[in-house]
Amino acid sequence: MRDALPTLKKLERRANDMVLSYDDDTTFTVTYDDVRHACPCAKCSPMRNEDDTSRTLRRQIEALPAEKPTVRTVGKYALSFEWQHGCSSGIYRFERIHDLANRRDPDRGKPYVHGAW
Amino acid sequence: MADSPVTINSPGGQSAPANPEPSPQEQKQMEQAYAQMKRKMSMEEIGRKIKHKIMVLSGKGGVGKSTVSTGLALSLAQQGHRVGILDIDITGPNVPKMMGLDGRRLHVENKRIHPAEGHMGVKVISMAFLLEDEDTPVVWRGPIKLGAIQQFIGDVEWGELDYLVIDFPPGTSDEPLTVAQSLPDIDGMVIVTTPQQVALLDSRKSITFSESLKVPVLGVVENMSGFTVNGTTAPGTTLNIAAPGGKTLTTTADDDGRFAVTLDIFKQGGGQATADEFGVPFLGALPFDPGFVRGGDDGVHRIVSEPDGPSAQAFANVVEAIQNQLSDGADGSLEIV
Repeated sequence: MRDALPTLKKLERRANDMVLSYDDDTTFTVTYDDVRHACPCAKCSPMRNEDDTSRTLRRQIEALPAEKPTVRTVGKYALSFEWQHGCSSGIYRFERIHDLANRRDPDRGKPYVHGAW
Repeated sequence: MADSPVTINSPGGQSAPANPEPSPQEQKQMEQAYAQMKRKMSMEEIGRKIKHKIMVLSGKGGVGKSTVSTGLALSLAQQGHRVGILDIDITGPNVPKMMGLDGRRLHVENKRIHPAEGHMGVKVISMAFLLEDEDTPVVWRGPIKLGAIQQFIGDVEWGELDYLVIDFPPGTSDEPLTVAQSLPDIDGMVIVTTPQQVALLDSRKSITFSESLKVPVLGVVENMSGFTVNGTTAPGTTLNIAAPGGKTLTTTADDDGRFAVTLDIFKQGGGQATADEFGVPFLGALPFDPGFVRGGDDGVHRIVSEPDGPSAQAFANVVEAIQNQLSDGADGSLEIV
């Protein structure tokens, strides 16, 4: 069981990153490149399994034009990011966002195999 | 063919009119492409005609997924909604049996498949309708299975529906992937689990699978949650009952001599724990009710035979929780600027 997750209260979109404010008075900045690289979709996730393909994914993301995404809530448990370019398929649970904010590996070191970590 | 919109570029850079008589192979390819395009358009139209599309999945087999799918469909129909069930479990389709449609054949008109109608007017499409006999196994590889699923989605005349419940085989395989990619605007997945650890482990896979497919999780349903023993004895009698896990449950009969004890045969609270762990909604627990087994075999679902009974009420609670998820896009407290 993971630690209790603070509630995300505010997400401020800036040109290249977003500022996340939680109800435990913590604030984090997460770059859009980091968000995109952590995409949990079935196409992006396997690319993070190996260091070299993970770096390839990172390079592909960094080559995309800078843009501010449209952010939507998914139910009460996740966010989706819609981009003009690149992959918009992943659903990011709040826990994943919090891991990113805290510079933790959102995959928790597990490889993505057959649709799951 | 001067008016033809199709031209073929010759190697010399000049355009030549299209061959007015394509070869049989080309003709076949064109027909297949046309049929594919028509089916895609049909799927989009079906997507518009069906208000809510709910996938029912489980990581593990034997957790009662088809029972839950049919129960949800019937409970929704009980509320007066127009409901359909799409039984995507190609290798083990048993929704028709549970819906009292065993042995029924599908009606095809103008190349469109018309669903069979089961209890409470619920429309049903299943592979079982296409089998010559129920002992015939369906042994299909991926591409054939994919084609059959697309046909089940694109070539079926569902009409206007409020809810389409889609029942899948267990696991995170081709079927949910194909449906998620073919049917637009799926509202979400309901993950069915039982309380024991091995089922919970697989449910966790289903939840992360949903993130890959970009289909939200509507929530987790815990099936076979507890078996309630009812009985009568002398009023005020205290009873000690041996329960699973070496526990002893104590209960006292009421003034009429009635008592009830719930035995947690497969442990307790695992569905809630999984939902909490993943931050997805817990939709509720369904009791371990032998009436589901009898009803499944007899083709009379528990909700049909006992519409006001405890199991029907448990389903109604789960349906209400799903409907809350469908109406609430967010908890409203997050500010996005």
